[in-house]
Parts: sequence; C-alpha cells; structure tokens
Amino acid sequence: MSVIAPNFKFSEFVKSILDNAFWMLLIFVLIGLPAVFIALFYIEMPVIDGQLLTPFLALTWLADPSRTIPILKAFMSTDLFKIAAFPGFGFAALIAAGTIFVERKMLAKLQLRVGPFYCGKFEGILQLMGDGLKLISKEIIIPAKADKPIFWAAPILFVATAAAFVALIPVAPGWVVADVDVGLIAVFAIIGFFPIITILSAWSSNSKFPFIGGIRALHQMVSFEIPLILSLLGVVILTGTLNLSEIVVSQSNFPWIIFLPIGAIIFFITILAELERIPFDLPEAESEIVAGWLTEFSGMIYGLVQLGTYLKLYAFAALFVVLFLGGWTGPMIWPPFPEDIITNGITIGPITAKIPGLPIFSQEMLNGVLWFVIKTVGVIFFILLPRGVFPRIRIDMLLSLGWYKLIGLAFVNIFIALGLLYAGVLGPGGILQ
Amino acid sequence: MVGELASNYSTLVLMFGFAVVAMAPALLVSRMISPRKKSNPVKFLPMECGQVPSGEGRTHFMMQYYAYILMFVVFDVMAIFLYAWGSTLLLLPKSATLPIIGFLAIMFAAMAFALHQSGRRDIW
Repeated sequence: MSVIAPNFKFSEFVKSILDNAFWMLLIFVLIGLPAVFIALFYIEMPVIDGQLLTPFLALTWLADPSRTIPILKAFMSTDLFKIAAFPGFGFAALIAAGTIFVERKMLAKLQLRVGPFYCGKFEGILQLMGDGLKLISKEIIIPAKADKPIFWAAPILFVATAAAFVALIPVAPGWVVADVDVGLIAVFAIIGFFPIITILSAWSSNSKFPFIGGIRALHQMVSFEIPLILSLLGVVILTGTLNLSEIVVSQSNFPWIIFLPIGAIIFFITILAELERIPFDLPEAESEIVAGWLTEFSGMIYGLVQLGTYLKLYAFAALFVVLFLGGWTGPMIWPPFPEDIITNGITIGPITAKIPGLPIFSQEMLNGVLWFVIKTVGVIFFILLPRGVFPRIRIDMLLSLGWYKLIGLAFVNIFIALGLLYAGVLGPGGILQ
Repeated sequence: MVGELASNYSTLVLMFGFAVVAMAPALLVSRMISPRKKSNPVKFLPMECGQVPSGEGRTHFMMQYYAYILMFVVFDVMAIFLYAWGSTLLLLPKSATLPIIGFLAIMFAAMAFALHQSGRRDIW
C-alpha cells in the first residue's frame, strides 16, 4: 500500500509537470524536428500527383487532406511498414497477445475456473497489460557465475528469431515481408536456431534445472524436426515449388489437407512438440524440474521469452494454414468498397470532401486477410486445446513417437503424394488444372 | 544475380534487426525502473527449491538419449536432400523416382539399425 509523500504539495506537483512539458517541447523543437527533416532528406520519397514528395511537402499533409491518403499508401508499400506493422511484427505481436489472453480464459473454462476477471471492466480484458507492467517493473535477478552477455542476449535472440520466422509467412496476396524462392527451406533453417538459443540460455545460467530443461528441449526439438521436414515433402511434391506464396496459390481449388490428411496430422503433432506445449512440455515440466530452461529467468527477460514463444506459436499456426488449409483463399465475403465514395466523395454534415486514392486496401487483400486470420485463429485454438485435456508424456515415449511412428507415417504420406501424382489425380493433367 | 538473390533475404534480416531494436528498450526500461538491491548474496544463488545449491551448475550430465542427437545430424541432411528431388519432381522423368526409392530404402535400413542401437540403453 503506497501513500502520498508527507511533504506533498499540489502546486509543486503541477509545476513539475509544467517543467517537464516545457523541456520536452524545447527538446522536440530544437532536436526532434531537425532530426526528422534530416532523416526525411535521406529517405527516398515517392512521387505523388506527378510531384516528388519533398520533406517539406511531407509535413504539409495535415494541412492538405487530399495528399494524406497517397502519402499513407506510399508509406504502406515501404519495407518498414511491412516489417514493423502489418504482415510483420505488429500484426504477429497483436495475435500473440490475443492468444495469451484467450489461452488463459479458455483453460480456466475447461478446468471450471474463472480465469482473469478483475483487471478491466469486462472479463479481465486488461490482465495482459497489467502483467506487462508487472514484468517490466520487476527486478531482473541474474544468478551468480552466470554468463551475463549470453544470459541477456538469449531472450532478445529468441524474440528476433521468432520474428524472422514470422517474416516468411504470406498473409495476403503480395503481403509478405520476405518473399524468398526457397521459403520452406528458409523456415527449416530458422526453426533450427531455436534449440541452439535454448541450450545457450540454459547453459549460461549456471543452474541445474535450466540445464536439464535445456537438454530436454534440445532432444525434443531436434527429434521432431525430421518428422516436421518429411511431413511437408508431400506438399512440395504436389506443388513443385518451395515458395510459400505459390503454395497458397496452388490451393485455390482444394486445400492440401483433403489429399494429405496424414501429413497434416504429423505436422500438427510436431508443431505441438516444437512449441513445447502439453502433452510435450517436458522442457518446462513444472512438477519435475521447476520451470525447465525458464527457471532462472525473471522480470522482463521472462516476458520477452513468453512473447517469443507466442510469436513462434502464431508463426507455426500460420505455416499450417499456408501449407494445408489454403492460406488466404476463400469465398469473397468482404463487401466491396462503395463506388459512390470514390466518384462523389464523402459528405460529412454540410461539407463534401472528395478524397483521391480511396480505397486504401483492395477488396481481395481484405478478404484474404480475413480468411487467413479466421483459419489461423482456428488452428491456434486446436494448439491451445490439448493443454486442458492431456497429461504430460515421458521422454522415452516422446522419442519413440517422434522417431518410429511419425517418421514412418511421414513416409506413408510421401508415397500417398507420389501415388496421387503418378496416378494422374493431381499435378499436370490432373483434376485441378 | 547473386545480389538479387541476396536482396530477397534482406527484409528477413531487417525483420530480425527490427525485433532486436524493438525489444532491447524493453530490457533497458526494465533495468532503469526496477529496483536493484544487492543486499543479500543468497538472492543471487541458483534456484534449487530453497536449498543452498550443492556442486557445480554446469556438470557432466548422463543423458541416455544422446544417440538420437547423433542420428539427427545424419538424417536431417538426408531429409533436406529429398527436397532437392521433391521440388523438381514435376520436371523430372518418371524413371528418376527409382533411384530415390533406392535411396529411401538405404536410408530406412540405416535408420532402423541406428534406432535399434539407440534403443539399447545399456551401451549409452
């Protein structure tokens, strides 16, 4: 229970606020604005209405609404927007935050509890914000004799690797951060970094529980990487490409889960194992080894690892959607943008403003994003569900599942794909062309 | 040509860098506003469920499933080899599948032997 300081004076409180505001304004005018102009001078500006957008014109957008939307559109086509906001980090972090909240509420309902309830007016909706504030204001305790640089770097590397994974996911036609030709191989390359980061952080903390948890995580991720790679070979055989966008386009008639259900099931099980979720949460088995490789993490370091974990969860669910459920394809349910506004302009009260450049997003893109999000949320729901349903399995069961059953089934899946191709059902001359 | 291929990956690296730049301030702010008390050396001991930790943190640890990691090193490469074949399958003649079936058979035999050896816990 905190109390107001005994020598508290309201006038001094107001004065301190005004002082801070004055200095912030001064620093913004003397340093911030020149810095913005210098930065804008070096950025390649777009041509709008046949006129090169100079830094001075760029800042007049507030005074000239007709230039606002072209500038916004030009900004949204830059790499920075894609990386920071829409198909990249911001979008993924938003879905990750939603996943955390939905997981807590859903798990509570499955176990006949209430879950987060008091923070925020409605059903504890602000619980996540409260947790974030708590984590950022907690002391970060680093164990003595820990390898400090690696201990600090591991959570940041974890989040950054998960973000690089997110960068490969196509969300809508043309809306992908990194559209590489060998997208699927790049995904495997990035997945291969997670065990390394895990074992590095576990080894650096100089503690026994993280060490055992890290070794378990290494075994688990490494063992399930081979069924993961083999289960996706069927899709590659049928599409003949490794580019994720082209794989989505190839599913415009039928999603591959119809033809390759075994591959989809294997891939889903390996997702659960790679994400260390129940029933495969041996690396974090809280009743055996405290919290596994997360034991020594405290405060914001733990928060970053959680963020990275849920970014990874989103990326894997999105990868499942892209490869097996048809990505952004789906019937057109988004209403078309009203032609009236494009031709006649918007009427607000007595004023009619004709704004060029509308609509900002095309109907196809919005529809694609809607279907992608619906499917991804569905897959995330099925990833969260086992946590309330299944017990944890033993490590020898885990390894025998990964090495005997899943790899065998993955080869069955490959032969199904080959059979479909050579029987003429799919591929050139098949039913899809 | 090489530059074009590499430029596809530049956004991937930028995304990685963006996450580093965006997340490092979280740790810095946390470091600035959180309390830092070094009053008690016991506080900085490794977690061992309330006991005073005994022995080294980084020790030799007997993990009886070490063989599976060795197997991963071999069979991960083999699985990636299959992608070189699978992604160009539509362009290849059908007879090109036979050598791959032979490759799979050898791989299966080797994997069965390796799994049998890995299962013998007494020798690891």
